[in-house]
Amino acid sequence: MGVRITGIGVVSAIGLTVEENLRALKEGKSGIGKMAFLKENSELLVGEAKISNEDLKAALHIGTRYVSRTSLLGLLAAREAWGKNRLSKSLRTGIISATSVGGMDRSEHFYKDYLAKENPDFRLLKTHDSGSTTERIAAELGIKDYVNTLSTACSSGANAIMLGARLLLQNRLDRVLVGGSDALASFTIDGFRSLMIYDDQWCRPFDESRSGLNLGEGAGFLLLENEKSIEFSGNATIAYLSGWANAADAYHQTASSPEGKGATLAIAQALKKSGLNTSGITYVNAHGTGTKNNDLSESVALKNVFADQVPAFSSTKAFTGHTLAAAGAIEAVFSVLSIQNNLIYPNLNFKNSIEETGLEPVTTLQTDREVRAVLSNSFGFGGNNSSLVFSDRA
Amino acid sequence: MEKSVYYISAASTISHQPTFGNAGFSKSICALEADSSLITPDFKAFIDAGLLRRMSKILRMSVACAKDCLAQSHLEQPDAIIVGTGLGCLHDTEKFLNTSLTVEGLLPPTSFIQSTHNTMAGQISLSISNHGYNMTHTQNTLSFEHALLDAMMLLDDGEASILVGAADEYIEILTEIAGELNVRPARQLTSAASFFIVSNAPESDTVACVKDCWPIAFPESKTSAINDFLQRNELNAAEVDYVLFASLLPEQSGELVDLFTSAGMSGERCIDYLAFSGIYPTAAAFGMHYAADLMRTDRSIRNILIVNALRSENLGLTLIQSVEA
Amino acid sequence: MDTLKEDLKKQIIEQLNLEDITPADIADDSLLFNDEGLGLDSIDALELIVLLEKYHGIQVTKPEEGKEAFKSVNTMAEYIRKRKS
Repeated sequence: MGVRITGIGVVSAIGLTVEENLRALKEGKSGIGKMAFLKENSELLVGEAKISNEDLKAALHIGTRYVSRTSLLGLLAAREAWGKNRLSKSLRTGIISATSVGGMDRSEHFYKDYLAKENPDFRLLKTHDSGSTTERIAAELGIKDYVNTLSTACSSGANAIMLGARLLLQNRLDRVLVGGSDALASFTIDGFRSLMIYDDQWCRPFDESRSGLNLGEGAGFLLLENEKSIEFSGNATIAYLSGWANAADAYHQTASSPEGKGATLAIAQALKKSGLNTSGITYVNAHGTGTKNNDLSESVALKNVFADQVPAFSSTKAFTGHTLAAAGAIEAVFSVLSIQNNLIYPNLNFKNSIEETGLEPVTTLQTDREVRAVLSNSFGFGGNNSSLVFSDRA
Repeated sequence: MEKSVYYISAASTISHQPTFGNAGFSKSICALEADSSLITPDFKAFIDAGLLRRMSKILRMSVACAKDCLAQSHLEQPDAIIVGTGLGCLHDTEKFLNTSLTVEGLLPPTSFIQSTHNTMAGQISLSISNHGYNMTHTQNTLSFEHALLDAMMLLDDGEASILVGAADEYIEILTEIAGELNVRPARQLTSAASFFIVSNAPESDTVACVKDCWPIAFPESKTSAINDFLQRNELNAAEVDYVLFASLLPEQSGELVDLFTSAGMSGERCIDYLAFSGIYPTAAAFGMHYAADLMRTDRSIRNILIVNALRSENLGLTLIQSVEA
Repeated sequence: MDTLKEDLKKQIIEQLNLEDITPADIADDSLLFNDEGLGLDSIDALELIVLLEKYHGIQVTKPEEGKEAFKSVNTMAEYIRKRKS
């Protein structure tokens, strides 16, 4: 029982549109580099969306300064996914976005002035709460039948997609824009640095020498529609969301369990929901952050589920950086593109397998396989594990 | 789908009222005084010392209420844990923001780890070793309603028992922000947590159920939204025994009360629950516990409507019904 | 009495917010990361790295480096003395 995906939109370090992202993925071109927009003169490697707030506002025709970068990035991707669709009183339309920082980029700005007692602008805080970032996007698009925000750290985006699918299947909505958005913030950069899992070099997912992640930013959105909505819109279906699951690892506040308990549950239950066998998965878009802990735990989980038949897999985080709450949504768009274009993306910066598991990701672009189904993993703090299955048929 | 019944088989709240471990509290609650403070249990009775030492108030309250709910319902593991929070773990967020802007060199990571909105749901799963669906909704003042709706959807899909709740945390800067933004709330800003077990089957002592819940993002008219909601639940305003409402400003309260008194309801049966809970984004969860407790103490009550207009742009409607003995 | 060790115990209690523990409860050789000892975890290990920088001016760049050093108060004191000599 798959749910139709009829629109996609994405903004990340490797492009401001679906087309630009696809081109970079094909060319194996990473978007990670020295910081240019958040702060000047930083040596830190980040996956910034290559556009300033001013240019974003101009492109989106937004005049106010009281809007967070998270909302702007989200709106850019949401508009692309929404496309030329029209609102209709006969269709119940919703939006679910995911974010972990919300308007933290504006709050930081405020709090700095506040601490220095330099005439802080309290109105900036109206954009702080995560819900307001989604409301902003909803208001710009005129969507109002269901407006909600999920925040489960790095699995948030996948969870928004899952919730949207459930709302359609329970006939509570006819169509829903689902995805996530997170802007880069000093708060999260400092946070991951305090955990000593921020790599000063390029992140190396699934490599034995990996030593942490590079943060990125961006947004991804998908439009999900039921039959009634399709009748109205006439939209073509580009892929199906056919399986999903969320499970708790319940092991530690930040670390994943060595036996990959939560991840294994999420993958296995998502597969079960999709009705596919393990052999039905052509490609796994892994969470693969590049931290010692995640990549090992995820590798173990893949082996738990797929045994010695682990499908072609890669992490695209060496392209985009880890975009936190947006990651699950951006990678969902990549998964749909994988099916649409029969592409398996390379895992950049990989040299040697992780000793304990010996798994080798795909390292060059594969174009000769028919991609029928993609498993996409998103695992977050607090042991929040989500897996989605996308397929070329219902 | 519409016929599902969502039984409230446990409820636990930490608030300014003697709500915790005290069924029947609704008989003895009174409006907050200016110097009122939270009434908290001994957290060590509920939380392992190793976990407790790092926990901010919002985490302590959430885990204690969650564990209390499980004990009440004699349930070992819920099928899912769902939390709504408007502003999340503000204490740790502000602490880390402050450190990151003022400290040169290495930063202590604990407050960053605990700044994410899903820390409550994560800590609950960790405390009870739960591997089920674990979700956190954060849609400002409608966060609890969205969490509750998610729980109802899981029950519709065949799950049996869901732990669902809400928590928010006050930090001092909120008062300053409210003042600077010219918001003059009628009640004090505060913290609280409420958790529930909602189930597909009643326990022997279950008295109330959630009939319906509808979070509305941008209602064109609150009156027509309320009328539509009652209509889809086959009720007219006169059949509602109590309206528990919330609004930030006194003049908005007047409008809501007028709506029901003009339909023939006694003004005394329109209760501003913020007078008891204080103001925080997910106070509707206090409203739900209050409604269920009123039904426990007075079995003649059939329908209680919770009208959450705490933020005037949004509207949360929840209908609580009594369960026939 | 070794004042470095006594200072360390106070600093550990403060940095890790060990509410009900006094310096007297921590033996010089008790294993900090063992459940029989203080039962600390990986987050605490990071906090101890912060402690070393904050109170002793010692920088640890890789968390693995701390592992041996943080076994007990004895090993911590030894590590500090070695790094400072």
